[in-house]
Amino acid sequence: MFSRSALRSLASELRWTAPSTISSVAPLQQRACLHQSASLMSSQQPQSQSASSHPESPLSATPRAQDTQPTTYQGVRASSFDENTMTPQNRAHVPIAKQPVAPTFTSPLKLPHLAGQKPHYVVAQLHARPYLLTEGDHIRLPFLMPNVKAGDILRFNRASALGSRDFTMKGSPTIDERIYECRVRVTGVDAEPLRIKEKTKRRQRHVKQAKSKHRYTLMRVMDVRVKTPDELLAEGAVVVEDSEDSSVIEPRS
Amino acid sequence: MPLRGIRTSTAARNGAGAFILQCKRLDFHYCNWAGSSKGMVAFLEKTLPAFARENPQIEIRVSPRPQKHPLIKGIYINGREKPVCVRNLEPHEILKKATLLKEASGEKLKRVKKPVTSLNESVRGIWSPYHGDLRGV
Repeated sequence: MFSRSALRSLASELRWTAPSTISSVAPLQQRACLHQSASLMSSQQPQSQSASSHPESPLSATPRAQDTQPTTYQGVRASSFDENTMTPQNRAHVPIAKQPVAPTFTSPLKLPHLAGQKPHYVVAQLHARPYLLTEGDHIRLPFLMPNVKAGDILRFNRASALGSRDFTMKGSPTIDERIYECRVRVTGVDAEPLRIKEKTKRRQRHVKQAKSKHRYTLMRVMDVRVKTPDELLAEGAVVVEDSEDSSVIEPRS
Repeated sequence: MPLRGIRTSTAARNGAGAFILQCKRLDFHYCNWAGSSKGMVAFLEKTLPAFARENPQIEIRVSPRPQKHPLIKGIYINGREKPVCVRNLEPHEILKKATLLKEASGEKLKRVKKPVTSLNESVRGIWSPYHGDLRGV
């Protein structure tokens, strides 16, 4: 807990020393983005190494979700990180070039309106297929997901759109995963009824029967939540002026 | 007075909040004499204790069924049951069948084409020609 509070105070210092002050969040007239520069990362690293027992992951799901990780990732957690063999556990492990592009918004910022309007939907991408999800939906994936078992909680972090009744946030191609939280629970494995296809060849009496019975992973969407600007700022988002547009919040016409 | 059914106030959405495994009981049947139960007897002796320990929420019953092939039967919360014959199978194959019965939802197998089924209303509402701004054709 020490590292998180220390980082938060560090982030708040950086925020106050930055030229753009964020006294009032809601009307945010200047351009805002989730800032993530190399200097910030380098300034964070010595502290996170000093408290290596707490790997600092700013947007990880709640602890309830973390204790049921798939078993294959359990052995990976280590204090010293090797880029080639290990699975990245937090944002410091991911190289800068592969990190998600920080979103920018045209002024005035409409994220508070989107976060405030309650039922949300998310178009989550899984193996390049879109799934339009709302809270409590039942998913039957068109494939059997490996290395998961019933009861596991996954977090979908690739979304091409995020919206409510009147507002839609589009990603190019995906929205920054730090803005929202979409968690699903694996509820089991289902199978289709046995399909028999008769294969015939010309001028042959023999008929071959090709049988198939695929298995599919069942899931249930636990929550689709858009984070409010206050939460984002508490997690280390920084308001920066003059960035290029990558993801635009636009109202529905 | 006519008989009235009980109305459900909420729709069941297992896993959205709490998660309950749908399989509540597994029955293992074997025969001491027959050769097709050889793998099943080995499974019951070697593998089943660990399997039962891993899944404390499932009731496990073992009973002999003489002169018949070995069988695993899964009983589910929705009242259905799923029997699987495991004659002449090796213990590791029987473990696979038991895992299949454990993770199954208990529903009848159906061919589903749409991946997402939702009980919620449409988030963005239904389009209406009488609302919103007018556009020229």
